[in-house]
Amino acid sequence: MKRPLLENERFVQIAAPVFVGALFLLLWELVVRANDIPHYILPGPSAIAKAFVEDSAILFQGLLMTLKVTFLAFAIAVVLGTAASLLFVQSRWIEVSLFPYAVLMQVTPIVAIAPLIIIWVKDTTWALTVCAVIIAIFPIISNTTLGLRSVDPNLQAMFRMYRAGRWQQLIRLRIPSALPYFFGGMRISTGLALIGAVVAEFVAGTGGSKAGLAYLILQSGYNLKIPRMFAALGLITLTGIALFALMVWISDRVLRNWHESALKVEQ
Amino acid sequence: MRDATASKFEPAPPLVEASAPASDGPARAGRPVVEVSGVDKVYANGTIALQGADLTIRQGEFVSLLGPSGCGKSTLLRIMAGLGDVTRGSVKWWEQDYSVVGQKGRKLAFVFQNATLMPWARVRKNVRLPLDLAREAGPDTDAKIDSALEMVGLSNFGNAYPRELSGGMQMRASIARAMVTEPNLLLMDEPFGALDEMTRNKLNDDVLRLWQDKGWTVVFVTHSVYEAVYLSNRVVVMAARPGRIVDDVAIDAPYPRGADFRVSTEFAGYCRQVSKSLELASRQGREVRS
Repeated sequence: MKRPLLENERFVQIAAPVFVGALFLLLWELVVRANDIPHYILPGPSAIAKAFVEDSAILFQGLLMTLKVTFLAFAIAVVLGTAASLLFVQSRWIEVSLFPYAVLMQVTPIVAIAPLIIIWVKDTTWALTVCAVIIAIFPIISNTTLGLRSVDPNLQAMFRMYRAGRWQQLIRLRIPSALPYFFGGMRISTGLALIGAVVAEFVAGTGGSKAGLAYLILQSGYNLKIPRMFAALGLITLTGIALFALMVWISDRVLRNWHESALKVEQ
Repeated sequence: MRDATASKFEPAPPLVEASAPASDGPARAGRPVVEVSGVDKVYANGTIALQGADLTIRQGEFVSLLGPSGCGKSTLLRIMAGLGDVTRGSVKWWEQDYSVVGQKGRKLAFVFQNATLMPWARVRKNVRLPLDLAREAGPDTDAKIDSALEMVGLSNFGNAYPRELSGGMQMRASIARAMVTEPNLLLMDEPFGALDEMTRNKLNDDVLRLWQDKGWTVVFVTHSVYEAVYLSNRVVVMAARPGRIVDDVAIDAPYPRGADFRVSTEFAGYCRQVSKSLELASRQGREVRS
């Protein structure tokens, strides 16, 4: 039996926000045209779309650079963050000695320390990566540590009763228990890696062949190429959304058989 | 009150069943499997969970620890499992210290209040866990898992995830996991407390059947008088504040016990006896406090 489209949950979930977005763009375009707002103050969506097409070469070059830093930083944050968590759960002493410094790193505004890092690290790509790692690593550390500690105490007692070693407990019990928390950390961390990459580039102000999207935004601003600025901004947003969706997809794939977060509600 | 408890610390009287025909079930009143002597357990916050607990569990017995919340029955069971230290007193397993536990013929398994399965692993893998942890996995592992699953009636659910099973089925999986190492001593901590009565009765019969077939020694914690009397050949009655053992009642009814036993006058008599003992203990507790 065919149901009306509006009763289809999936259709509504996609159609409703798309409709709101389209309405917003339409209003925007109308306001810009009706008031004859010059494009260097507020370009309409059509002007932005035009810039997107015309400048696609440099835009995508910039995107590639920003993505490179984002992925590098995210990968390093995941590896180092997980390693730190594993270290923390080995002993209470290690955790209480080091965790405050992880927090310290988290609360220091990256804009304030980015110039220092750019002076210290010669290679621009790596300088940007270091900044992005500093922002992106904390959710991984805190979530994974929490996860590694969130073990069912009875299961743990059972492991002790069968005389499981430290290694067996880690591999068979702690790591699987931590996975949902770890993926939660990853979701937050990807977005932060992207923000870190963009913010660091704003501060570093790199140019030439190594220019990323942030530099493109700065440059377009100086040259009053506001439509291009909006196009670059749009690209950053889309990238962020895509990365988040990717993380959700990966965690759903891994956890779908057992964890509540990945279970579809049955009607 | 001191006297009332002290008199219960004598060794359990020899059970009549020992000389009864073999069809009655496994030989009872054999060698000591666990001996708890003079055990106190005081928590860091000063709560006395157990005071002067003396209890000997013998080969082949089915013993229930019965009492209200806070009487230390779970604490006592965990101590028998070697989980957690005692403040005073000593515990022996097979007349030796804890290091012999796990050796052949001296294996111990524990069934928790909830199923305590690993949610990320399929039932088979959950059942297999003790063999992996004890490094006993070998060519016959699959056969062992199959037979454990068959005995609890989960043959067709080996590849299911725990969340796909009902509460009763999860508990069965938990029992299969306990059985897979072929334990000699099975400790069960209110295993069926969260289940509906029909499932509970069914699982009780299953456990009794396995106990008879396998020659296990079972210690079973419960707060249900009926469950304790139905299952056990000995009911150890406990009281709270402080947690202590107050009575040790032999249930001399033959096995197998079935639906008929549940409605027999014999059953009712034992239930009355055990209930009275529970009530007496709680009244004494109140008098001491006031």
